Amino acid sequence: MSEGRDRGDGGEGAGPPSLEERATKSGSRPGDRYVRIVRPAAGEFRRHGGHYIATRRVDAPQGRLGRAYQAARRILFGERLTSEEEVDERLSKKTGLAIMASDNISSSAYATEEAMRVLAIAGATALALTMPIAIAVCVVLGVVILSESRVIRAYPNGGGSYLVAKDNHGVVPGLIAASALLIDYVLTVAVSSAAGVAAISSFVPEVHDHRVLWSLGLIALLTIGNLRGIREAGVIFAAPTYVYVISLLGLIAYGLFRVASGDVPTPVVPRDAFEPQGIELLTPLIVLRAFASGSVGLTGSEAIANGVPNFRPPESRNAVITLVWMGTIFGTLFLGLTYLATRIGIAPDASELETVNSMLTRSLVGDGTPVYLLVQISTAIILLLAANTGFSGFPRLASVLADDRFMPRQFAFRGERLAFSFGIVALALMSAGVVAAFHGSVTELVPLYTIGVFVAFTLSQSGLVRRWWRLRDPGWRVSMFINSFGTVVTGTVLVVVAYTKFFYGAWMVLVVMPILVGMLYGINRHYRSVQDALTLDRPDEPIPQLKPPVVIIPVARLDRATLQAVAFARSISPSVRAVHIASSAESAEEFARRWKRWTTEVPLDVIESPYRSLLQPLLRYIERIDQRDDRPITVVLAEFVPRNWWEWILHSQTALRLKLSLLFRPNTIVIDVPYHSEDTGHGVTPRGPEDPSR
Amino acid sequence: MQLKRILVPLAGTSVDPEVIRVAIALGKPAKAEIVAIHVIEVRWNLALDAILEPESERGEGVLDDAVKVAEQAGAHIETELVQAREAAAAIIDTARDRKADLIVLGMPFRKRLGRVYVGKTVQSVYVGAHCAVLAYRQEETR
Repeated sequence: MSEGRDRGDGGEGAGPPSLEERATKSGSRPGDRYVRIVRPAAGEFRRHGGHYIATRRVDAPQGRLGRAYQAARRILFGERLTSEEEVDERLSKKTGLAIMASDNISSSAYATEEAMRVLAIAGATALALTMPIAIAVCVVLGVVILSESRVIRAYPNGGGSYLVAKDNHGVVPGLIAASALLIDYVLTVAVSSAAGVAAISSFVPEVHDHRVLWSLGLIALLTIGNLRGIREAGVIFAAPTYVYVISLLGLIAYGLFRVASGDVPTPVVPRDAFEPQGIELLTPLIVLRAFASGSVGLTGSEAIANGVPNFRPPESRNAVITLVWMGTIFGTLFLGLTYLATRIGIAPDASELETVNSMLTRSLVGDGTPVYLLVQISTAIILLLAANTGFSGFPRLASVLADDRFMPRQFAFRGERLAFSFGIVALALMSAGVVAAFHGSVTELVPLYTIGVFVAFTLSQSGLVRRWWRLRDPGWRVSMFINSFGTVVTGTVLVVVAYTKFFYGAWMVLVVMPILVGMLYGINRHYRSVQDALTLDRPDEPIPQLKPPVVIIPVARLDRATLQAVAFARSISPSVRAVHIASSAESAEEFARRWKRWTTEVPLDVIESPYRSLLQPLLRYIERIDQRDDRPITVVLAEFVPRNWWEWILHSQTALRLKLSLLFRPNTIVIDVPYHSEDTGHGVTPRGPEDPSR
Repeated sequence: MQLKRILVPLAGTSVDPEVIRVAIALGKPAKAEIVAIHVIEVRWNLALDAILEPESERGEGVLDDAVKVAEQAGAHIETELVQAREAAAAIIDTARDRKADLIVLGMPFRKRLGRVYVGKTVQSVYVGAHCAVLAYRQEETR
């Protein structure tokens, strides 16, 4: 049977390389023929719709070490997921609530206390204002939820406040909103891990001395959980969120029943109570500060609008429902706990020895009871899991910014588990740095918190006001009124928070934010200039005709690696020149003689370097040649590749150093011709003095 | 009979997994090499070596599935994709070319006019092959 190869035979005049080889064969019947399609890569590349798909086998590691590493990764992070599985990785409303609303819901654990602590300065009677302030916070939350639901509908691809501000106010306000949120997410993770450790150290005091290490350990655990993919993270972290919600709702229902039935319990007295008469007069500023402190309960409510694409289809609808659930749960818990605390007469502890929620629970169900332990443990866990909101928000926002070229492109890539791995790891590193810098102290970290989120709220709500004014869709007046009200309220809270917390650390956020905006802007300018330089002028741009390049081959010695490099150089250009750097006149003469004896087809320049420097004479030589010729200069390097990695140290790595030196040189192409110790020469027929057959 | 190489033509029907398992069972005692082949029949109005994307994709899918079935059965099989005017001739020629001792053909259970229908390809291979041919008919579906 005769055989004719159509493609990929690698011979003279061969076509472009292909993953398959077609050989026409004669059949046994006269005139019969058939085509054998040989697929050497079968199993590794699968054909689909006119292109190839790399299969799981392509990524399978070859060596033993690689396989062990891969196995460890699989245990830690789970099996790899294909891009098509992205829809299955989306969150349901239930897991979405657990993973994206945990920050907001966990705020109910301390929002009442934060407001009470400020009012207590003005005396015990001022605590009566806690409930009106809680109602005011819930009204603001209602406004925020209403406007965030409009953000979700208007911007279903996520991005939240950043996109709203960018679309309606311009790039810089958009970047301010983005940087505010990025900072806030980093602080969310730092504060939550520190708060989680603080809650653990309430039970195990020994933990307190090593709280930074514990916080870092918890961040590492959350990082691994989130690198396993958002859905799995949701499944892992959902249960504690619901345990917290159910136990607190149960506690509130029991408390309301007791109050309604006239069985009001005796309040637990704090160990270190505030002065009953107060140390300051009750001024509007104190009321505003109390309101600002209670507004920490609003943090985390932007995460859902930011991560709409994380939800299963219909994404916008599911995100809005989850947002409403979140607001309802937070509002119920916050109002319920505040009502019971004020009705029973709980006062905050001046030294933070015990939380208001803990005293309230003890008053209702008694000290050390299973219900008390359940409430306290679930509170500790939810405070820790609030960090998940940062882990879901930061990578998603960073990916949106990376898509818009305001952050490095790596932030837009999805990892093996479809999570934005780069963003997750970056967030973990930054929050770990913050925890270490602030010694894992919640008190030191909290003043930095909440400013970012109010900057973002104010910008997004005012952005929506401009949007409604511009578009004038049906019902725009109502929408505009809601968002105008929201702008005034969140703007006021922002001013109050910034004013009251400025000297306690908020100034740091206000300093970092413009720096971050400048960085984002700088990154974008770089990408734009790169794009300008690389984009084709027209889609049918012809392929330019290049002259064969000038090829320079730095030669250290005459051996098989050099032979292979010279052969390759001659295959790409007729204009080839070798250059040898010699350390003495004798060695220069000797090398020139040997070269001449070997070949006269490739001219050689020998440079004597009396100071034995190698790279500098070589680089200057390349520079001078380049100045005299307008053709691109190509440096072909012969590099010996040892069999084992540890053998690398035994070689001088001149080729590697030269490659690095030439990396940023314009108009220079560097080609590495590796010679492996087991190489047979890639079609090079050895001849000359080093030919082993001679 | 000492089997050295078994050729298993696959058409992408429901009988494919069964016929692969039968071939593996037959070849196991003598550690025979098993080659699964899928033939893309090229219409006469096209060049024989025309690149037929959907057909090639389907053929690769059939062969990849066969590899998976074999791996599940603890065996390794070779695969071959062929383009020809007529499947039977290509199967016979490949069997000759590959020096196969046996061709195991699979027939899905089909009836026409109340009788079990044996396809044209099976009949032609049965008649024309130089080596032994075993036809495996799928169990009647109820």
